[in-house]
Amino acid sequence: MTTNLLANLSFYIPEMIVIVTMMSLLFMETAYANNERRRTFVYVTGVIGMLLCLFSLFKNLGVEAQGIFANAVVVDSFSTMMKITMVIGTLGTFYISHKSIDIYDELKSEYLIMAVGVLIGGMLLASSNNMLTLYLGVETLSILSYVMTSLKRRDNLSSEAAIKYALYGGVTAGIMLFGMSHLYGMFGSIQFGPIIEGIKGLESFNVAAVISLLLFFVGIGYKIACFPFHMWSPDVYQGSPVPVTAFFSIVPKIAGIAVVARVTYSFFGTETVNTHIWNSLIALIAALTMTVGNLSALNQKSVKRMLAFSSIGHVGLILMGVLTFGNNGMSAILFYTLIYTFMTLVAFFVTTMVVNRTGSDDAVYFRGLMKTHPILGMSFLIALFSLAGLPPFGGFVAKFNIISSAVGNGLYTLSIVAAINSVISLVYYLKLARSMVFDTADSEETIESYSLASRVYVIGMVIPIIFLGLFWNNIYHLYSSAKLYLN
Amino acid sequence: MSGLLNWILWTPVVGILAILCIPSKNKNAIRYAALATTAVTFVFTLLLYINFDTSVAGMQPDFLVKVPWIGDFNIFYSLGVDGISMPMTILTGLLFFLCILSSWTVDKSVKAYFALLLMLESTVFGVFFALDFFLFYVYWEVMLLPMFFLIGIWGGENREYAAVKFFLYTFFGSIIMLIGIIALYYSVDGVDAFNILAHQGGKYIGKTVSIFGTEWAFNKIFFWAMFLGFAIKVPVFPFHTWLPHAHVQAPTAVSVILAGVLLKMGTYGFLRIAFPIFPQAAVDYSTIIAVLGVISVLYGAFCAMAQNDVKKLVAYSSVSHMGFVMMGMAAMTTQGMNGAVLQMFNHGTSTAMMFLMIGVIYERSHHRWIVRPDGTKGYGGLAKHMPTYTVIFIIGMFASLGLPGLSGFISEALIFLGIYERFTTITVIAVMGLLIGAAYLLWMYKRMFFGEPSEEVLSYSDMNIREIAYMLPLCAAVIIFGIYPSPILDIMRASVGKLVELMAQFQ
Repeated sequence: MTTNLLANLSFYIPEMIVIVTMMSLLFMETAYANNERRRTFVYVTGVIGMLLCLFSLFKNLGVEAQGIFANAVVVDSFSTMMKITMVIGTLGTFYISHKSIDIYDELKSEYLIMAVGVLIGGMLLASSNNMLTLYLGVETLSILSYVMTSLKRRDNLSSEAAIKYALYGGVTAGIMLFGMSHLYGMFGSIQFGPIIEGIKGLESFNVAAVISLLLFFVGIGYKIACFPFHMWSPDVYQGSPVPVTAFFSIVPKIAGIAVVARVTYSFFGTETVNTHIWNSLIALIAALTMTVGNLSALNQKSVKRMLAFSSIGHVGLILMGVLTFGNNGMSAILFYTLIYTFMTLVAFFVTTMVVNRTGSDDAVYFRGLMKTHPILGMSFLIALFSLAGLPPFGGFVAKFNIISSAVGNGLYTLSIVAAINSVISLVYYLKLARSMVFDTADSEETIESYSLASRVYVIGMVIPIIFLGLFWNNIYHLYSSAKLYLN
Repeated sequence: MSGLLNWILWTPVVGILAILCIPSKNKNAIRYAALATTAVTFVFTLLLYINFDTSVAGMQPDFLVKVPWIGDFNIFYSLGVDGISMPMTILTGLLFFLCILSSWTVDKSVKAYFALLLMLESTVFGVFFALDFFLFYVYWEVMLLPMFFLIGIWGGENREYAAVKFFLYTFFGSIIMLIGIIALYYSVDGVDAFNILAHQGGKYIGKTVSIFGTEWAFNKIFFWAMFLGFAIKVPVFPFHTWLPHAHVQAPTAVSVILAGVLLKMGTYGFLRIAFPIFPQAAVDYSTIIAVLGVISVLYGAFCAMAQNDVKKLVAYSSVSHMGFVMMGMAAMTTQGMNGAVLQMFNHGTSTAMMFLMIGVIYERSHHRWIVRPDGTKGYGGLAKHMPTYTVIFIIGMFASLGLPGLSGFISEALIFLGIYERFTTITVIAVMGLLIGAAYLLWMYKRMFFGEPSEEVLSYSDMNIREIAYMLPLCAAVIIFGIYPSPILDIMRASVGKLVELMAQFQ
C-alpha cells in the first residue's frame, strides 16, 4: 500500500509543485520585508513555479486515466486540461496584480500566496473523486477566497464583500455537507464509484437521492455562481480588488465547472431513471443563469459588476456543455473555458489600467479609451466582441461549439435561449464598446503604470483570442481526445 | 485563372496592410492606396466576368476553391461563383471603387476609414463566394464590425444609435440563422456537412424536430430561421426599421455600399440558401413572401412620400424596391427570378447614384432637408444653378423610378411578367407601388430643383471633375443595361434556370 501511494505521487507532481511554490513564497514573504527589489524575487518565484507546474501538467496529459491515492483523486486528461487553463489564468492575474493599485504594495506578495493557495484548492476540486476531497477542495478554495476579497483593506466595500462572501460560503458549504451526509447515508460510501452504482441501481424516481444531490449541488453552484446561487457574485466582484475579481472569474469557476461536469457525467451519463430529472434541472438552471445574468448586466454602471453578471451568463452557456458532456460537450467546455480565460484577462487588465488612472471602474471612465490608449482600447474591443460571440474571434468558436453540441443533442429550446441571450449580451457589450470608440475622452491624462511590458502583456493575451478564432482545429482535436476517468 | 476568387477576396486585405503601414499624416497616400486596391479588385472582377462560362448552370468549375480549414468539423475554405453571385461581384467591385473616389473629402481618421472600407469589401466578397456554411456565417458576421464603426464614427449626428440598432438587428437575425445552420450540419454526415450545395434539393421533407416540447416540420421551422436572418438584411416589411436610421446616419460611401450591396446579401441568401435547401417550404410560403414583398413596396413608397429629409426618402425607396425583388423571387418563374436578380443589380446601380448625388449636395449644404422641420425651404431651384448636377440626378432618379429605356424598367417589367400568373391580385396592387414611386420621386424633384434658388443654394458650386468621374460609370450602367440588359441576363440565365427548375419540382 505504501509503495503504491508513493508511486501515485508521481502523477501528483503538478500539485506538489504548486504547494512548494506556495511555501517558498511564504518563506520569502517573511524573510524579505517591503522592498521593491525583493518583491521582484517573489514574482519571479511565483512565475517560475507556475511555469514548472504547466510543464508537468503537459507531461501528465499522456497519462492513462486512473484513480490515485486509493481512488480519492483521479488523473485524467479532462482534469489536466482544466488545470492547465486554471494555471494560465493564475499566471495571467499575477501580472495584473503587479500592475494594480488595488493591491497595496505591501500586500503584493500576499496576493500571490493566496492565489496559489486557491489554485491548489481548484486543482484538487477538478480531480476529486470522492466527497471528502471534493469538500476539501471547496473549502481550501473558499477560505482563501474570503481573504483575497478583503485584500483592499482600506476600502469599506471590500470588507463588506468579504463578509458577504464568507456568510454565503458558510451557509452553502453547510447545505452541501448536509446533502453529502444524506448521500453517504443512502449509498454507504463517500467514494463516487459506489454512489454511481447506487444511483444506477435505483429502480424508480427517488426523491431522497435527487434532493440530496440537489443539496450537494448548492455548494458547487455557489462556486460557479449559477442562478439562484449567484447573488453574492456581483457584490464580491465589485468590492474585490480588480486582480482578485479577475482571478475569481477564472479559477474557482473553472474548478467548479469541472466538478459539475464530472458529477453530472459520471452520475447520470448512462441513462437511468433519474437522469431525465437531473438533466432537466441543469437545463433549467442553465437557461435561467444565462438569462438572469445577461438581463442584470444590461444596466450596470460599474464595469466590474457588468463583467460579473456577464460571467454569470457565460456560466449558463458552459452548463449547456455540461448537459451534452459525453457528446462533444467536453471539448466545447474545455475550449470555452480556455477562450474565456483569455478574454477575462484582457477585460480585467484594461479595467485595472482604467482604475489605476481614475480610481473607479465606472463605465464613464472608459470613454474615448480608443483614442487615448489605442492598444488598450483595441484589445478591450476585441475582448468584448469575442465575449459577445462574434467571429472571427475565439469567443464565437467557443459559443459555436457549445450551441452546436446542444443542437446535436436535440436541445433546440436551450439553443434558442442561448441565441437570444447572445443578442442581449451584445447590447451591453456594445454599450461599452461604443463609449470607448465613439465618445471623446474627458481627459487626455495617460496611465502612469502603462508600460511597454503592459502593452506586450495585453497583446500577448489578445493574440490567442484571434488565433483560436481562426485556427482552432489542432486545439479542438486535442480537446476532443480528452478522457474522463469513469469509476 | 483558378485562383481568381482568392485574388478578389484577399486583394483588399493586402490593401489594408499597405494602408496600415502608411503614416496617418500622409492622407493622400492612404487615399491613393485604397483607390489602387479597389481598382485592382475591380479589374479582377472584370477578369472573372470575361472568363465566365455562361453555359454552365451552377458553380463555375474553373473557379472553385476548396481547402480544408477545420478538419474535425468538416469546415472548408470553399469558394465558388455562379450566375447569381457573378452580377453581385461586379456590382461590389464597381461600387467600392466609386465609393473610395467619393470618399476623397473624408478628413476624419482617414487611415481607419479606408482600412475599414476595404475590410468591408473583402467580407462582402466573402459572403457572395462562400460555399461553406461556416465560412458564409463568419463573413456574414464579420461584415458587421466595419459597418458598426463606419456608421458610428463617420456618421451623422445620431450615428451611435443607428450603428447599435443596425448591429443588434442583424446580429439577432443571424444568430437564429446560426441555429438553422447547425441543425443542417447534423442532418448530413461526413465531409459535406457544412457544404451549402450539398444540402440543396429539398432533402428535409418529412423530417421533424422537437422544439419547446412540440414537433415541428424540420424544413418549415428552419426555413423560417433562415428567413428571419435574411429578411432582416433585405429588409422586408416588419424588420425594416433599422434601415432608415442606418442610411440617414451613415456617411455617403457607406450608404451607397449599404443600399447597393449589403441589402442584396439578404436576397442573395434567399436564392443561395433558403430557397434551394428548403424548396418545399419556400413554395408553400411563397404567398407570404409575396405579400410581405408587396407590403414592403407600398409601405416603403408611402413612407418615402412623407419624408422631408432627402436621404431618408431614398432610404425608404430602397425598402420599396427590395420589395420588388422579394416578389420576383416568390413568383418562382423564370421571368420572375431573372427579374429579381436583375433588379438586385439594377437597384444597386440606381440607388448608388441617388445616394452619391445626395452626398454631393450634402458636402455643399451640410443638411439634407427638402423642407426643414421648421417649415422653411431647404433645397430649391437647383436646376437653374447646377445644370450638370441636375442632368445626372435626373438619370439616376428616372432609373430608380423605372422609366422605360433605363435599367430599372426592365427588371421591374420582368418581375411583373413573372408574378402575374401566380399572384394576380398582388401584381395589381404592386403596380400601384410603381405609381406612388413615380409620385414621390417627381415630387421630390419638383421641390428640390424647380423654383427660384435661394441665397444659400446660389453659394453651391456645381459638380467638379472628380464627382462627375465617379458618376459617369453608373450613368453608363443604367443607360446601357436599360437598353441592352443581355450582358447581365446572359450570365445569370443558366444558374437562375437551374434554381427555377428545382423550385418547379415542388409546386
